[in-house]
Amino acid sequence: MDADVRQMTWTELAAVCTNLEKACTKQLRGEEATTFAKLASFYESRREPQADAKIEELVALIDADLAEGYPSANEAAQAAEDRGSKRALLWGEKATKLLKSLLVRYEKQGAKLTEETGVFVCEICGFVYVGSAPPEVCPICKVPAFKIHPVRKEAI
Amino acid sequence: MHAVRNLRLCTKDCVCLFICPTGATNTETGQIDFDKCLDGCRLCVDACPSGAIYLVSSTYPKPQTTEDAVAERLFALANSKAAQEDLARSIAHGSDDPALRQICKVVEMSSRIIAEDLWRESGYIIAQSDAAEQLVEAMLAEYGAEEGFPVEAVQAFLNGRR
Ligand code: SF4
Ligand code: SF4
Repeated sequence: MDADVRQMTWTELAAVCTNLEKACTKQLRGEEATTFAKLASFYESRREPQADAKIEELVALIDADLAEGYPSANEAAQAAEDRGSKRALLWGEKATKLLKSLLVRYEKQGAKLTEETGVFVCEICGFVYVGSAPPEVCPICKVPAFKIHPVRKEAI
Repeated sequence: MHAVRNLRLCTKDCVCLFICPTGATNTETGQIDFDKCLDGCRLCVDACPSGAIYLVSSTYPKPQTTEDAVAERLFALANSKAAQEDLARSIAHGSDDPALRQICKVVEMSSRIIAEDLWRESGYIIAQSDAAEQLVEAMLAEYGAEEGFPVEAVQAFLNGRR
């Protein structure tokens, strides 16, 4: 089944391109990687921020993924004995739960949450960690710590 | 197939320099000279005491197909992740609180990584897949006339596939 380009949002189009860019980079195909990077930035440049976006909306989408999206996809992947999809769903669901807990904690604690500590994201699976140093091995996808990157506060 | 050095593993034992028949392993960048490397030779791969060299293929098999019922649900999740990335960016855009913007950045990055993985499993795992080729063709047809679309690069990619 092919995705329908006309139905996809700018961000979806950008994401499928950054995914293919990474695949080309891993194959050491620089020229093709650059082509997908150019496509991704074309779609990135079309994105526009929406006014009055709220954390609650974000949490609602995450809740819907956890209540509906992941269980139904897991069931389909199980029925199809598709272990690759089961793997992606397992990692994604775990990372999604961590994103939910990050947002819930931020709503409670505000800026205090990250006042004296760092926040890290695993470049492979999206694992999120609040603490002084990332774990030696990603608890979700098991890559070594050099693949887990700090996300810093920027001065505005 | 050519040899590639993983610089994170290379301990500079130089056996690959001794054994390479073309000098491809000896370069100022530390990486192997792919143009000099002999297709499929692999002498350095077997000789390296650190397991730091591997072969990268020039051709790839067609990826496994994803069943429609699975792909459909992976697409739906990827769509939701994109919406979350958009919301996080919008929230950051509307705020001048560095802590909130930091959290939003984390959500943006993580959501993108999760989405990329969903795309990968739904058929877009490598650029050599039919799905990826059809996607790029559809992008060219739909957006090729718009300003900023990388027409030449995309055409070169598609020509390279034929
Ligand atoms: S033989 Fe292996 S460890 Fe030695 S220089 Fe070559 S790649 Fe590095
Ligand atoms: S595979 Fe052979 S030709 Fe290529 S770099 Fe290694 S030793 Fe040299």
